[in-house]
Amino acid sequence: MAKLSTEMIDLLGNYGHIGFTFVAAIFIGLGGGIYLDEHFFDGSTSPWFTFIGLAFGIGAGFKSLFDILRTPAARTKDKDPEG
Amino acid sequence: MEHPILFISIILEKLGLPIPHGPIGNTLLEKLCEPYMTYTWFVMIFLVVVGKLTLSNIEMIPGKGQNFWELLIGGMYDFFNDNMGSELTEKLFPMIATFALYIAVGNLIGLIPGFMSPTSSINTTLALTIIVWITHHIIGLRAHGLGYIKHFLGPIPVLIPLMLPIELISNVARLLSLSIRLFGNIMAKETLLGILFMLAGAYFAPLPIMLLGVLVSLVQAMVFVLLTVVYFGQSNEHAH
Repeated sequence: MAKLSTEMIDLLGNYGHIGFTFVAAIFIGLGGGIYLDEHFFDGSTSPWFTFIGLAFGIGAGFKSLFDILRTPAARTKDKDPEG
Repeated sequence: MEHPILFISIILEKLGLPIPHGPIGNTLLEKLCEPYMTYTWFVMIFLVVVGKLTLSNIEMIPGKGQNFWELLIGGMYDFFNDNMGSELTEKLFPMIATFALYIAVGNLIGLIPGFMSPTSSINTTLALTIIVWITHHIIGLRAHGLGYIKHFLGPIPVLIPLMLPIELISNVARLLSLSIRLFGNIMAKETLLGILFMLAGAYFAPLPIMLLGVLVSLVQAMVFVLLTVVYFGQSNEHAH
């Protein structure tokens, strides 16, 4: 039971924030793009930076997804070679 | 959502201090008397007093109180040691352990009727997260100097214009996701408990949610600390 619950917490800690990080990255990219369009260039470039920001945001989301998948594997590999 | 009963707020109101009726007060005194501020002070006083009571005389053969703290602090120390190396643990153990204790107690205190979790306010969680976020950049800058920027440039020099914004966005996303996850989970627990108390408190309807609330509180405190440790470890190690 103790082993199960520590494993559970480890899994929750490592993978429980995948969804939120993904969404946060997309929204930050989109928000940055909208800010550049509307406030920095005063709407003269209107849809373009929004789309570029959205694309970068989605890219960042996938990148953080891969990071999350890679990091715990590397950590457990360092810790115990058998497991 | 307004909490039904917050006993510190009631006491302060009896003392003649202004209690804000919205989430945020107008004047400085009202801001200081917001429930999440007063309950933050309450959690801090609670931790200090409990520490003082249980650890006032440290002995070679530990009693009940000292045993508990030795188990807890020792477990956390080993966990940090495994995940971010002994050097960083020596430096940063007090900070992260304080965060862990504060978040765990702050989450759990909201389960008692009349109390509120200070972590169910975005101000508290964002403050904690900004400290963690700035600290992990400082760790990176101190460990690598200007070479820390290599963390944000990706593996191949040709891809720098593509990778730099992506890395920066995913780094800022840490700030958002770390704060909003803790805030969202705890606020959801608090709101659900409040609604169930009002709807069917006489029939013990909130009891199962309270059970889940214990789990959520501990797991969220664990997750916050685990991610803090992982970020610190990442910014300390070499870029890929």
